[in-house]
Amino acid sequence: MNDIIIAVRNLSKSYSGRPALRGLDLAVPRGSICGFLGRNGAGKTTTLKLLLGMLRRDAGEICLFGGSVESEASSVAARRRLAFVSEDKELYSFMTVSQTIRFTRAFFPKWRRDLEEKYLDLFRLPREKAVPKLSKGMRTQLMLLLAMARGAELLIMDEPTSGLDPVMTEEILQAIADLAASDGTTVFFSSHQLAEVEQICDRVCLIDDGQTVIDGVLDDLKSQYRRILVVFEGAPPAELAGFPGVDHIRRRGRTASLLVHADVDRTVARAREFGPLSVEVCPVTLKDLFLDHGKGD
Amino acid sequence: MLWYKAWLETRWRFVSMVGAMLLTWLTPLWLSSIGLRLPAGVPASRIWLGVHLGSTILYVVTAIFLAGSGINSQTTYAVTLGFHGSMLFTLSLPVSRRGLLFARAGLGALETSVLVAIMAGFSLFQQPGVASALQSLAYITRAIVCTMAVYASSVLLACILDEVWQLVAGGLCWIAILVLQIRFDVVSRVSPLRGMNLISYPVTGPMPWTPLITSLVFSGILLYAALLVLRRKEY
Repeated sequence: MNDIIIAVRNLSKSYSGRPALRGLDLAVPRGSICGFLGRNGAGKTTTLKLLLGMLRRDAGEICLFGGSVESEASSVAARRRLAFVSEDKELYSFMTVSQTIRFTRAFFPKWRRDLEEKYLDLFRLPREKAVPKLSKGMRTQLMLLLAMARGAELLIMDEPTSGLDPVMTEEILQAIADLAASDGTTVFFSSHQLAEVEQICDRVCLIDDGQTVIDGVLDDLKSQYRRILVVFEGAPPAELAGFPGVDHIRRRGRTASLLVHADVDRTVARAREFGPLSVEVCPVTLKDLFLDHGKGD
Repeated sequence: MLWYKAWLETRWRFVSMVGAMLLTWLTPLWLSSIGLRLPAGVPASRIWLGVHLGSTILYVVTAIFLAGSGINSQTTYAVTLGFHGSMLFTLSLPVSRRGLLFARAGLGALETSVLVAIMAGFSLFQQPGVASALQSLAYITRAIVCTMAVYASSVLLACILDEVWQLVAGGLCWIAILVLQIRFDVVSRVSPLRGMNLISYPVTGPMPWTPLITSLVFSGILLYAALLVLRRKEY
């Protein structure tokens, strides 16, 4: 399907026998901004590197722009249409800003000079400064400039705002959102910052222990899920976990917190059968989803 | 543009080797300027021998030094621990790994060849009238071809080891071959180290085809192995 720009099915990858991905599924539609969430070691960076052909998969299928990236030639062809910002933001230490831009520009015939100038000005990047002399924030901005000006259809980023101050983070998020809105660029980025994912993403994919636990439109997920807080006189009964539609349960003393994705009314009614002191239904935040799905019991 | 990048990342190495080359040439002049002369009875050709031997060692050092950096990594150390420097940026560009190896190893080979040709030419220049133009050209060619065996081995090592260890392993590998060629006739006959100097095979003698062909075959095999390693490498 051409509308799905990243399609990953049953992807597996191990390092020296230790599984990093275990049958991961993922679908990112064209034009969306998708946040890729998961705890440290959940398999986010491994997934991104597999998409780019930096790692070899053990099993499964990866399609970019509707085609497989099995061979090196197809991977190279896909890389003509995408941009990647790595977590470490490392660029060539032996080049200046303008040399790095000139070098990168040569690989992309659709290079946008207007965007190059726009982001050079916006980010106030000194053209003749050597890359090692740039701050981490400036290196991130330069990488974003290189990614955005190449006219890519897909922007893949691994924690683009890690280590940046709030002002710079905001500038970068704004630039990403603007690009997606103006050019229809698909953005897929991993992050630990739930607030920034909520700010600019319309989709989220949450993985845990190498498997997808949530993949969908953010607003739909928020409307599908509810948190039910039930307070008992004593310890919450164990049967609550077995209710249909309950994804996750947390117990704190006399309180049980249930994350429910279906049959909310029925779950409330069944909880009341245990004679609780109170039952409260609350909307969920992305943080709730992340903490409940990405943490185990 | 990969050639441009390869030049930028190797240029200080190239300049360093030009410096080492000049140092080797100027040392005899400097020694004589401070009054150090050969003892009576020792022929002046000893000076030429020393300079040529120095140049031959420099062929090897140049090949090892110019093969490092930028082939499978862009950091000096800890690549094997997963720190790849700017390599992730390079691999996200629409270039094949074969293209990367071809550009980087190709430019390094070109730089090495230029320096070896200059040093070999200088060795011949120090012995005016000994060799014809054709013999000189033949020697420069064999010096380059034999040095390429050292270069190819260093490229392979650069695809496997961190750069620091690539330099050490490259040096140790060719010291081992030097020892083996002293001890075993068969190694001596095929050794690129003998093929590249004028002491083992004088410029006026016949072309030493055995070390020359061995070097060519050896280089081809090692570069192909480097390509296979690089293609299978995970970042």
